[in-house]
Amino acid sequence: MSSGSSVKEETIPAAGQQPKILIVGLGNPILGDDGIGWRVAEAVEEALLLEEEVKNPAVEVACYSLGGLSLMERLIGFDQAILIDAVQTGSGKPGSLYDLTLNDLPDLSTGHLTAAHDTSLQTALKLGREMGASLPSEIVIVGIEAEKVYDFSETLSPEITASLPEAVNLVLKQLNKLLRRSSQSLTV
Amino acid sequence: MTRITIDPITRLEGHGKIEIFLDEEGDVENTYFQIPELRGFERFCVGRPVEEMPLLTNRICGVCPEAHHMAAAKAGDAVYGVDPPSAAKKLRELLYMGFFFTDHTTHFYALGGPDFVMGPDAPVAERNILGVIHKVGLEIAGQVLQARKYGHTVVEMLGGRKVHPCTSIPGGVTKGLTEEEREKIEGMGEWAVGFAQFSLDLFGDIVLGNQEYVDLILGDIYSDRTHYIGLVDENNKVNFYDGKVSVVDPDGKRLGKYAPDEYTDWIAEHVEPWTYLKFPYLKKVGWKGFVDGNDSGVYMATPLSRLNAADGMATPLAQAAYEKFYETLGGKPVHQRLAIHWARLIELLYSAERWMELVTDPEITSPNIHTVPTKVPTEGVGIVEAPRGTLTHHYWTDERGILTKVNLVVGTTNNYAPITMSIKKAASSLINKGTVVTEPILNMVEMAFRAYDPCFGCATHSLPGQMPLEVTIRDVDGEIVNVLRQFC
Repeated sequence: MSSGSSVKEETIPAAGQQPKILIVGLGNPILGDDGIGWRVAEAVEEALLLEEEVKNPAVEVACYSLGGLSLMERLIGFDQAILIDAVQTGSGKPGSLYDLTLNDLPDLSTGHLTAAHDTSLQTALKLGREMGASLPSEIVIVGIEAEKVYDFSETLSPEITASLPEAVNLVLKQLNKLLRRSSQSLTV
Repeated sequence: MTRITIDPITRLEGHGKIEIFLDEEGDVENTYFQIPELRGFERFCVGRPVEEMPLLTNRICGVCPEAHHMAAAKAGDAVYGVDPPSAAKKLRELLYMGFFFTDHTTHFYALGGPDFVMGPDAPVAERNILGVIHKVGLEIAGQVLQARKYGHTVVEMLGGRKVHPCTSIPGGVTKGLTEEEREKIEGMGEWAVGFAQFSLDLFGDIVLGNQEYVDLILGDIYSDRTHYIGLVDENNKVNFYDGKVSVVDPDGKRLGKYAPDEYTDWIAEHVEPWTYLKFPYLKKVGWKGFVDGNDSGVYMATPLSRLNAADGMATPLAQAAYEKFYETLGGKPVHQRLAIHWARLIELLYSAERWMELVTDPEITSPNIHTVPTKVPTEGVGIVEAPRGTLTHHYWTDERGILTKVNLVVGTTNNYAPITMSIKKAASSLINKGTVVTEPILNMVEMAFRAYDPCFGCATHSLPGQMPLEVTIRDVDGEIVNVLRQFC
């Protein structure tokens, strides 16, 4: 087989590059409460734009309907990441917020059918790291307990909508922590 | 009666679930496979302009947005009665080859491959893409991610953005290709052909070189004699983007070909009380239950179906692989479901070769990429082959192009009946009186439907975004006597 250009070479950030943080809203914006991740990410982006002090070229905000390998590929080149997504624990009240890490999620990659067509984010990250891809050293997750994620709708449930401001604050708090940890000052 | 349930544990409703009911002897009495269905899409669409559908429908599924984008654009063409310029069709198809190349690569290495590369009874912790990479070498991991990257790049260049393309509209596309972009895509296409050949060679070495796997593929556990459908071009060669749907019977005899707007003459849907999802079947043959054979209208729509329903592949290397496939497996059609994995790799090679054909077509950089619709919109059907089966979009609009009704028949829905049958057959073969149901046995049951690459993508958006499995074994009173999980 002919050899393509190395993924490793293309993804390692240049020396001296400022640490980069990616905030990702995950979910499906037309699937009811599954769209909460996007809504929070969009609100976070607005808050960052409005707050002059927090303008920071190292912070990017994106919205994706992705998981597994595809999500891992989007994280390449970032030093830290915040994922925002709907979760269904089955025990929390709709709109409950969760401050999670990847370790809090079951790593389902050891089984089959862990994803319909993909692998788990944890496995994808291990794969990427084994290849030397530059992936975030820290990934934090802000989860919002969702109620209706099987009905097509662009409207969130009232409880989920009500949780939006608090979710935005939680993301900004997490962002502040990450920025502090990467020795940058930021006031939110 | 004992009940064994293979069930995700993080969902309260709408999840995919396998239930295996045993009789008092301990043999399999019946199996049920329930697929989650997202509700209300038709209601969601009604009242919107039809030209929004290529954007809306690509949000139905996080796995194959490009397929919905294409089917919606083609249905939009039909609604407006407009024929896009030749260059626009080629640009759409080129984007589609990038998508197919990515999707088939991912399936083989991440999902289907572990069973063969690691073995169906390998320790569960190793039976994943990491295990595959550790076995075949880290360099391969780089190639897999490179393949995905190139496929994504083609989609981005032609589709306007990295995920969820937005350039196909009724009458053509909104973005052409510059010579500079064309050259880049050509360079990536050359590499893609090599990668696809390598993947087929890898399959040959690891799977066909192992008699145990060959026996597994050719054995009766994973075989059902059903009908097959797949899109073909005017020469009856496999085509992913356009053509008519060829229908063949279990003997390989072609029953006919239907154009998109004729699909309701051929396909009907059967309803069962235990699932919300309907079971499509061939109307002209009729629904006879979950049975195979020439008299049963059950059909399959997968990579293997496409090969069975066609007379060959339209590109030379894929055609050679096609011939070897049928020579090795004892002629056409092939009914063994695990052969879907091999068929998928032949399609991978076709997608790469077709990518090269299209990108070197002098017309591909033409600026003539859109025909303005002028007719009053009415009703239209668009069909493409999604990676996991024939995808049909049917729209009705008023005279302003506002949607009044929508019907979709998606890839996995086509395969609902054959998947159900495959699970029952595998379970019946593997679980008998006195069988201790172990993880490897359940994995071999799962293999029966994993080959179809069934699409639960729409249901996997919320974190943890996965479809974990739990196996619950119940006694005759329905009490749980044991619980097996596929992960720790």
